[in-house]
Amino acid sequence: MKQHEELESRIETLLADPAYADHPLHEALASLFERYREQTRQIERVSRIADRYQDAERDRGLSYAARYQRQLRQVEKIVRISDRYQNMLRDMNQRLHWLSSRDELTGLPNRRHALVRLREELQRLGRSGGQFCLTLADVDHFKSINDGYGHDVGDRVLGAIAHGLSEGVRDYDVCARWGGEEFLLLFPHSSIEEVQSVLVRLRRQVGVLSGELLPAGAAGLTLSFGLTLCRDAAEPLDAILQRADQALYQAKGQGRDCVVIG
Amino acid sequence: MQDLIVEGTGSIPAIRADWEAGCVVMKGDSYPENAFELYQPVIDWIEAFLAREDRPLRLQLQLLYLNTSSIRAMMDMLDQLQGAFDDGRTVGVEWRYERENERVAELAEEFREDYTFPFDILAHD
Repeated sequence: MKQHEELESRIETLLADPAYADHPLHEALASLFERYREQTRQIERVSRIADRYQDAERDRGLSYAARYQRQLRQVEKIVRISDRYQNMLRDMNQRLHWLSSRDELTGLPNRRHALVRLREELQRLGRSGGQFCLTLADVDHFKSINDGYGHDVGDRVLGAIAHGLSEGVRDYDVCARWGGEEFLLLFPHSSIEEVQSVLVRLRRQVGVLSGELLPAGAAGLTLSFGLTLCRDAAEPLDAILQRADQALYQAKGQGRDCVVIG
Repeated sequence: MQDLIVEGTGSIPAIRADWEAGCVVMKGDSYPENAFELYQPVIDWIEAFLAREDRPLRLQLQLLYLNTSSIRAMMDMLDQLQGAFDDGRTVGVEWRYERENERVAELAEEFREDYTFPFDILAHD
């Protein structure tokens, strides 16, 4: 760069010197020097423009990167919020499912749930054989409890019996409120004899409740049971239920507080 | 500019943009088939209000469930408010939720993140 400047200033000095003004090369050098200057100016100008384009491109790139980062953050936020909404819906769904399978008064599985479990048990029987027992249990003289002591007491009796029954069965058994004062007990993989011994225990537990729930002198709380065995997966569910129901009806006819096998 | 009124249904919220009051109210669930169609008029209304008026603008929300495209539209609106706030305007959001539904409050808090304008999350009974 320094060399260029020295050369330029030498030429300027020579061109300005009057001693060479009439030299034949003077005019040629002056024209050449002028052309050289013009071209230098052009090159500088083009370089400046090119540099500005480059700067603008770099800025644009940076703003794209910034915008991309911003949009990425926004998408991440949308995804996060959306996931939380979906979790909320899933939990609400599970809660609704639970509620739809429960009886409000006793907290036991309801009739709908009992039917689902019964169908499952029949399907299992179809796949792997075996047997299960079904029992319908009905609170004896429940109407007179309701009439004599009021519905509040009646409700408490149902709640307490429900609690006693569900505590008394095994973990894999089903104890559901079938309707009114009637309960359904499902005993998978069980024989009549096994279930009979469970029922002995349940009847004892219910008997203890009378003193806690009813005034002194009231008749004891008892249940009547209709018990039936199922081994045939092809048997219609209605027929099995009907058999248990008829056995229960017989138990009632035989003076209540007993188990009849149908 | 006219007020903007959208009747709510089971799947879209009731929307009322009141020019005189400088207030946009949205209530209900939001899972429309086309969130853009539903919310673009609201976004345009907010844009127009911010451009033509100097008065404060309030957004009052009482939203329970939002699908993903509604979340997106909601963030676009909140971004509009943030832009106005950055320009020195008075804007604010009030997000109301039922006291027993704490999870809605948590979601509103997720929305509030990153915004610096007044954004209140209020329980009601």
